[in-house]
Parts: sequence; structure tokens; C-alpha cells
Amino acid sequence: MPVADLLIGGILLGGVYALMACGLNLIFGVMRVINFADGDILAIAALSTVSIAVGFKLPFWVAILVVPLGCAVFGVLIHLLILRRIEGAPMIMSLLATYALSTILVNVAILIWGGGYSGLPGVLSGSLRVLGVNVSISRLVSFACAIGVSLAVWWLLEFTRFGRAVRSVSRAPELASISGIAIERIRLMTFALGTAMAGFAGVLVAPAFAVDPQLGSRFIVKAFAVIIVGGMGSYPGAIAAALLLGVIEVVGSYLAGAVIGSAFLFLLMLAVLLVRPRGLLGAGMRV
Amino acid sequence: MNRMKKVNSLGVAGVAGVAALVLPFIGSDYTVSFSIQLLIFLVLAYSWNWIGGYAGYTHFGQVGFFGIGAYVGSLLNFHLGVPWYFAAIIAGLAGALTAIPLGGAMLRLKGPFFAIGMFGLTRVLEAFALGFDSVTGGGTGIYLKPVSDLRPVYYVVAAVAGVMLFLTWKLDNSRLGLKLLAIREDEDAAESLGIPTTRLKIGTFVASAIAPAAMGSLYAVYLGFIDPPTAFAPNIELTTIAMVLLGGMGTVLGPLCGAVVLSVVNELLWANYPQIYLASVGVIILLAVLFMPRGIVSLGMKTGWVTVSRPLFRRLAARHGEALS
Repeated sequence: MPVADLLIGGILLGGVYALMACGLNLIFGVMRVINFADGDILAIAALSTVSIAVGFKLPFWVAILVVPLGCAVFGVLIHLLILRRIEGAPMIMSLLATYALSTILVNVAILIWGGGYSGLPGVLSGSLRVLGVNVSISRLVSFACAIGVSLAVWWLLEFTRFGRAVRSVSRAPELASISGIAIERIRLMTFALGTAMAGFAGVLVAPAFAVDPQLGSRFIVKAFAVIIVGGMGSYPGAIAAALLLGVIEVVGSYLAGAVIGSAFLFLLMLAVLLVRPRGLLGAGMRV
Repeated sequence: MNRMKKVNSLGVAGVAGVAALVLPFIGSDYTVSFSIQLLIFLVLAYSWNWIGGYAGYTHFGQVGFFGIGAYVGSLLNFHLGVPWYFAAIIAGLAGALTAIPLGGAMLRLKGPFFAIGMFGLTRVLEAFALGFDSVTGGGTGIYLKPVSDLRPVYYVVAAVAGVMLFLTWKLDNSRLGLKLLAIREDEDAAESLGIPTTRLKIGTFVASAIAPAAMGSLYAVYLGFIDPPTAFAPNIELTTIAMVLLGGMGTVLGPLCGAVVLSVVNELLWANYPQIYLASVGVIILLAVLFMPRGIVSLGMKTGWVTVSRPLFRRLAARHGEALS
């Protein structure tokens, strides 16, 4: 078994899961909304990146700037048109709303881009030797950027004024409101930041993976597993769990084939639920 | 007045029952085929209503049991030649047997975490159906010997739908129904009132898995074919939930109204605009969440066309009033 190959491959895959899981955690923490459409925003961002680079023949960095920004604007629209109107309604309503949104986005993406796979073979091609293993540069860059942004958002939440406001809205919205925090604006900004993170993850996925409109549903189930294994609402837990699950998926796929391999994640998720419902690091909230 | 209403609703049920009985004789093959689909969705909607509408657990994994049933039934029929009606019964049992351990594990999760857990689990089941291709035929699927006449299938599905409607009516008028509603409204409060929440939740989860598994098996017979994307289709889940939501969650007549309205809309959409069909179902759910979260039935209750159900609740309230005065 090529241990180093599998370990590095798994860790690199985990980077994107970490970024997605942090975005989902952020949105859930502040708004108590699970965004089922997160994966589809990622897929549309990835497809848009391909269109920008291949269709419009613009440089890749244009996509890095434009796509997350576009996703943030989209997030603002979703918040204003949908989520804000069902604040305070039973949780089932926001679940159904984002689930429905996810279906709409997938099918609109299929209408626009068709059902087939596309990719960005020319961007960040080539490979490096790391620990005696050939690693493709695109995966390395996407891993570095994903982990970098995840850590940056964590830092933002822990050490800035904005982060303090976000955390207080997530723990005690009434008290935050009394203390003069504009909770509606914080919620709006958080949701926009969360969708921008999904969009950035999409940009990073485009050069490293084959992209199609169904990509979102494959990524989101793994991001969900990451969140449960890492402990809901815990950023260090999510990053650690993402890397762990990335490795498990790659090793599982190597041993049992790609289809069954990704199912290993869920067996781990079930085991964690039964044994440590607060997540592996024990830092998540009791669910 | 009350008596007249009772006679009326009995009369409506009687007429509907007779219509359902004679439909296969007067209707075309297309009518029978459409009705089978509608009734299958009706059963799915009633099952979902128990766990989603009454107990308030957003269940994104019902199609998982549908798929398990579809495969259990098809494999029994294909390899052992078990007749389809018998295979459907075993499929229902298989659904219950898988639901017991799954419910024990997954119902430790509350609200949104249960939703994402079941959502993911269904994708895993699909992956297993694809991956263990020596048993399930993988992506190629299983082709069943076609049934020559769909009318028996129609009667079985119609009977199950009738039973589901009756059981939901019983549930709505029972203490059990009230206990489930208490869990939906505030699980901790329900627990502290002495309601055995865990047992009831798992029981409801298991009960709501039986009929979908049996329907999965019958759906495979109806199509004459099953493969993983059909058995575990997310759009079956989506359509079922849309029906319950549109009709009215946690009501007796809601799933019926929702299933009839949405089946007709779907049939028209599917015939005319197949490419935007799924997106339209999404839009319907979104609009229902935003503008009509209590469903069609609540509109009917407001206008007085539908009697507000839960006579038991009203009786209890009245008794409470007497005791006070």
C-alpha cells in the first residue's frame, strides 16, 4: 500500500472539505440554518470558473476575485428574499427552503452548463515531488488556499471586533441586540461570508477535480459528515475531521473502490454519533 | 349540524372508495398507471407525515427505505421467483428491520442534524447498491419479468393508501398523536412531562419506514426495472415532502390534498416542460414555505370547508373548562 501517496492525497482532498465545513459551521452558528444549497453554490462557482477561464479566456485570478464576490451577492439575495422571512419559524421550514433551493440550483446549472463534466486542465498544471510523492500543483494550491482561508475565518471570528459580534449573536441574540449589535446586519454579513467561502471552494475545486452540476451533492454529504465527526460549531474540530475524512476516503477508495470508499465516511459518522455525539474533539455542541 | 357533517364526510369517503374500486374497469391504461403513481406517492406522503408532520423530525432519508424495499423485493422476485405481492410484504418487513437500528443511532440527533445525517445515509445506501454490483447488478440495474396486468398492483396500492389514511385519522384523534405533537413542539418539555420521547420517536420512525419499503418494491414491479438512481431518487423524497408541506403537515387530509394537487401539476409539467420539472418542484416547495407554511388544509379550515380536526383535544379542553368552573 503506497502509504505516503494515500496520506498526501487524502490530506489534500480534506482541505476543500474543511473550507466547506467551516462555511456551513459559520452559517449554522449564527443563523441556526443548515444550508443544503452550499454544495450547489460550490458547483456553480466551479462551473463559472471554468466558463470564465475557458469560455471567456480570462486569466484564472479573475475568477478568484469575481466568483466569491458573485456568491456573496447571491448569498445576500437568498438571505433577504428567503431566510429573513422565515426567521423564527420552526427549523423544518429553513431546512425545506434550503433543500428546495439546492434542487433549483442543480437543475438551473444543468440547464446552463449541461450534465457533462468539464475541467481546467491548463491552469496550475504540473507536479512537485513532496516526500518522494508526485503531487499535482493544482491540488497543492487548492489545499493551501482552502486551509489558509479556513484559518483566516477562524482568526476573524476569534480575534476581531466583527468576530466578537458574530459570536455574541450566535450565543445570545437577545443580549447581543441589547448591547447595540445590529444582529440583522451581522446575520446578513455572516451568510454572505459563508456563501463566499463556498464560492471560493468552488474556484479551488475547478482546476483540481472534474466538475459537473451534480458535484455539489457529492461534496455536501461529505461536508455534513465532517461537521458531525468534528463536532457541530467547532472550527478546529471541523478542520481536523476534514483532513481525517479526506484520508479515510482516499484509503477506502484505494482498498474498496471509489463508490464504497466514500461510504466509509458515513460508517465513521455513525460510529461517532453513537460513541461521541459531541464530535471527535468533544468540542462541538450537544446535538 | 355535527351529525350532518359526519354523514357528509362518511358519504364523501364512500363515494371516493367506490370510485377507486371501479376506476380500473372504466379508466384507460394511462389512468390506471397515473393512479398507481399518485397512490404510491400518497402512501409515501402519509408515512412522511407521521415522522415529519406529527413528530416534527425533518426526514430527508425516507427514499432510503423506499430503495431498500425496491431492492429487497426485486431481488426476491428476480432470483427466487417470489410473487410480487409477497415480495412487497417482505420488503416492508425489511424496511422495519433496518429502521430499528438506524432509528436508534440517528434519532440521537435532533432537528437539523437528524436531517443531514439521514440525507447522507441515503447517499451511502445508493453507493452500496451501486458498489455491490455482484448482488444488485450495479448501474445496469435489475430487469423484472413484466406483469401483464397492472390492475392488481393498483388495488394493493389503493388498499395500502386507504389504510394509511385511516391510521392517520386514528392517530390524529388519539393520545399518541398528541404526544407526538408535544415532541414536535418542545421535546424537552414533553420528556419532563413523562412522555417516553425516545421510544415514541423510534417507534414512529420505524412505523414510517414500513410502507415506503413496501411501496419501493411495488414501484419496481410497476416499472419492471430498478437501478440505484431510480430506487434512491432524490426527487422522490423531494416530491413527497412537497406534497405533505403543500397539503398541510401534521393533518389528516393534508397529504391527500397535496398528493392530488401536486401529482396533477407534475404530470402537466412532466408532459410539457420535462427539463424544468425538478426545478419547478423546488420552486413550489419554496413558495409553500414562504407563503403557505400551514398548507392547503389550513386554508380550508379558515374558510370552514374542512372541520378543524382533533375532537379529542377539544373534548379535553372542554373537560378542563368544566373542572375549573
